[in-house]
Amino acid sequence: MKLTIRRGGGLAGMVAQTELDDRSLPKTDAEAFAGEVARANLHEQPEPAAAKPWPDAQLYEILLEAAGPPISVHYTDETLPESVRLLVAWVDGRPERVESIEQ
Amino acid sequence: MSRNHRRAQCGIAPPDLLGRLAVEGDAQQREAAVRALATSAAIRSQRAVMGRLNRQLNLNLGQMIGFTVNPDRRLTIYDNQTNGRTFLPGVRVRDWGQPPVQDEAVNQAYDGSSATYEFYRDVFARNSLDGAGLELVSSVHYGVAFDNAFWDGAQMVYGDGSGRIFQVGGLTRSLDVIAHELTHGITELTAGLVYSKQSGALNESFSDVFGSLVKQYSLKQSAADADWLIGEGILVPALGKALRSMINPGTAYSGDRQPGHMDDYVDLPDNNDPRNDNGGVHINSGIPNHAFALAANALGGFAWEKVGKIWYTVLTTRLRPNSQFDEAAQATVDVAGTLFSATEQDAVHNAWKEVGVLS
Repeated sequence: MKLTIRRGGGLAGMVAQTELDDRSLPKTDAEAFAGEVARANLHEQPEPAAAKPWPDAQLYEILLEAAGPPISVHYTDETLPESVRLLVAWVDGRPERVESIEQ
Repeated sequence: MSRNHRRAQCGIAPPDLLGRLAVEGDAQQREAAVRALATSAAIRSQRAVMGRLNRQLNLNLGQMIGFTVNPDRRLTIYDNQTNGRTFLPGVRVRDWGQPPVQDEAVNQAYDGSSATYEFYRDVFARNSLDGAGLELVSSVHYGVAFDNAFWDGAQMVYGDGSGRIFQVGGLTRSLDVIAHELTHGITELTAGLVYSKQSGALNESFSDVFGSLVKQYSLKQSAADADWLIGEGILVPALGKALRSMINPGTAYSGDRQPGHMDDYVDLPDNNDPRNDNGGVHINSGIPNHAFALAANALGGFAWEKVGKIWYTVLTTRLRPNSQFDEAAQATVDVAGTLFSATEQDAVHNAWKEVGVLS
C-alpha cells in the first residue's frame, strides 16, 4: 500500500509531494498505517467544493494505491476532513516518508 | 412572538446556539441570530462561530462588518495549539494593548498585524481592513508543523513551518507575509477579486504589493533600496532566498515558475489540482508584481507615496470581482493621471507596456 500526498497552492504556490509505502515500515508500524488509512475512510469522503476559496489555502490531492483500483481525492485547507488531516499529519511524522518539491 | 422579542432572546443566547439558529433556523430566526451575533460583544471570544457562519452561510466580511463593536480593540492573537480548522481560532493569548508574552510567534503576529494596521492608517487613512476598525484576528501554531499561512475569510492563520519547506517559525517572522495575508482581507472587502486565474493573480499581486510596501515603510526604504522580495529568508536555504521576487520574477527559489511578461503567461486550469494553483494565481501574479516594481523604480523615492497610492486607489475603488490584467492596468494609468501628473502616468503606462499588458 502506498499513499501519495500532493500539496500545492498555499502562500508559496509550490507543489510538494510526500509518499509513504508500507513496505518501508516495520510490521507493527505498517499495521498502524493501515489503521490510519482505514480511519480516514478515503473512499467514502466527499470532495466538498469550497464556497469561496480561502486565499493562500493549500490544495491537496491524496492518492491511495492498495488492493483494488487507486483512490484519488482532492481537498483544500478549507475542506480537508478532520480524519484525513490526521492521516496527513501521521504520514508527515514518519521518518520513512519520501518528500520532493516538484519543479 | 414579536420580532423584537425574538431578538431579545437571541441577545442572551449562547453564541453556539445563535450560530446553530443562524444556520438551521427559519428565516426570522436566522436574521435575528445573525443580528444578535453581530451586535454582541461576546462575538469577540467566539470567532469560531464567526468562522462557521462565514463557511456555512457564505457570508463575507462585508456582510459581517456589524461584528465591529469595539474600535478600541485593534487586534487579538489566538493559539490554535497545533489543532486544525475545527479549533479555530483557538485560545486567546494576547489582547490589544497587552505586553509581550513568552511565545515569540504570538508576539510576531501581534507586531506584524499592528505594523500593517499602522501602515494602512498612516499612509492611506484606512482604519483596519473594513475602514471602520474591524478587529484583526490571528491564530498561530495552526496544525502540526503546518507549512502555510492563509486568510480564511475572517482571520489570519499561521502554521509553524516544518523545516522542510518553511523554516520553523518563519511564517510569523516575516512582516511582508503578515501584511500579504491582511491585504487579502482588504481585497475581499473592496474589489472582491475572484481567486481564480487572472483575477486571482491580481488578488495575489495586490497582497504582494502591499506586503512589500509595509516592509519598505517599516524600514523607511526607497524603491531603489528595497529588495522587492516576498518572504525573504523564510524558506529553508536549500530551496531559495524567498517566495517571490517582484523585480525579477522567477528567480526567488529553485523551481520558481513566475513570469515577468505576458509572453510567458502560464495558462492553467482552475480544477482543484494542486499543480494548477487555482489557475496559476501565485504564478502569473509575477506579471503585475513586475509592473508595480518597474513603475516604482522609474519614479523613485518612497514607493508607497505615489505608485502605492495609485494601486491602493485602484484596488479599493476601481476594480470588480472579475477584473483582468488589462482592466487593472488601464485603471492604474487613469488613476495616476487623476492623482498626479503626466510624469507618473507615463511611468505607470510604460511599466505595463514593459510587461506586455498594455501596448
